[in-house]
Amino acid sequence: MNRRFPLVLVAILALVFLGTVTRGLLMNASWVGPVSAATKGSEGLRVSTPEADTTASLRVHEPVSSSTPATPVSQKATATPAAAAPAAQGPITVNGVADIDPAKAFGSKSAPVTMEIFSDFQCPACKQLFTTTTQRVMDNYVNSDKVYIVHRDFPLPMHAYSRMAASYSRAAAHIGKCEVVEQALFQNQEKWEANGDVKGTLAAVLTPADMKRVQALVDGRTLEPLIDKDKQLGQAIPVNQTPTTIIHTKDGQSYPVVGFVSYDVLKTLLDQLVK
Amino acid sequence: MQSAPFNYRRLIIWFGRLVLGGIFIYAGYSKIFAPNLLLHSLFSLKFSILANFSNFGNQVRSYQLLPEAGVYFVAHFLPPAEILLGLLLLVGWRLRVWASIVTLILVGFIAVVTRAYLLGLQIDCGCFGKPEPLTGWTVMRDSAFLVLAVLMTRFAFQEAREPHPWSAAPASEQPS
Repeated sequence: MNRRFPLVLVAILALVFLGTVTRGLLMNASWVGPVSAATKGSEGLRVSTPEADTTASLRVHEPVSSSTPATPVSQKATATPAAAAPAAQGPITVNGVADIDPAKAFGSKSAPVTMEIFSDFQCPACKQLFTTTTQRVMDNYVNSDKVYIVHRDFPLPMHAYSRMAASYSRAAAHIGKCEVVEQALFQNQEKWEANGDVKGTLAAVLTPADMKRVQALVDGRTLEPLIDKDKQLGQAIPVNQTPTTIIHTKDGQSYPVVGFVSYDVLKTLLDQLVK
Repeated sequence: MQSAPFNYRRLIIWFGRLVLGGIFIYAGYSKIFAPNLLLHSLFSLKFSILANFSNFGNQVRSYQLLPEAGVYFVAHFLPPAEILLGLLLLVGWRLRVWASIVTLILVGFIAVVTRAYLLGLQIDCGCFGKPEPLTGWTVMRDSAFLVLAVLMTRFAFQEAREPHPWSAAPASEQPS
């Protein structure tokens, strides 16, 4: 076997070299070219002609409520949903993306890029995407009016409490507490998925008055059709796994990104698209 | 010299090479080119591959075994290595070396998959590009692959030590 040792060593080194070269080639900036047209599977995407965005930015910069526990809330992430006010606002269309619930969308409607994120509150990869990538996109792109983020609910049947979490999250979004509640649900995912205590998770970050309003909306079931609509939109794409992010540009192009994607990788695409 | 006929050892070696070679190639390919594959420009292809590495890295991270640098290394190194090893198994050159490495890698896979299963981690296996919950079936399937790899490696060494008389060099050609 001693005679074989150098060969094995060479083989291992060759594999390491191959991996390094692969990575190096992929990260070579000279490869970056212009982004052009159609994407794989785009025929299944809802790509439409971008509409003239005549609506002024509805982004509202609202200070975090003093009654809201500040710990989980990023101080920079102050972009609140366009419909923070509970007044019922119907679905809107931005960058050709229709049926957007403004209560679950963040940023400027005139942003050059719209990110549509289909996620499930009980999916670990969705948690990872939200707590790492999405938060940084919020800080660096949404707050500078470069990206408009739309959160779509896509609760999977395999997860016992994800639909309940979606219902509570939607209700919280409609009283202007979308971000704080989404953070609480994702950051405490392991806790509430063990016992189904979604309500308790929200109660820990909302005031009793807000919690009462959320509970009334959940009990009234008036927002359930919005979750069903998101689910239908996802199935039409089709979304085969969560998270799935569809990135839309103003010129009508759509880029589906399936699964978790790190901020550094997503940044390369966003930087190309927001130019 | 005449080719030796199939015996059960050679049959298992051939079967192992085809099955494990194919599976390794598919596993590596699917991690690199799935679930994202945007082909309309070099930039989009590069983005897709990096996104897939990132996605696979998240699956590696979910095993809660490696530091971030280790996750990064495995996510970028393992998929191309799987393709290369699969090809080498199919080609059959230096089979004992590559079969041994494949066996060692499968031992590693079994160890981490079994650990995650016993810990009750609700995670994706990360075995192939598509999400696949880690269950007892995953452990059994990987165990079957390992048994095949061990047999293939053992028989490959045995064949080298004890070649079939038909494929052994004639006495006149053997060094005295």
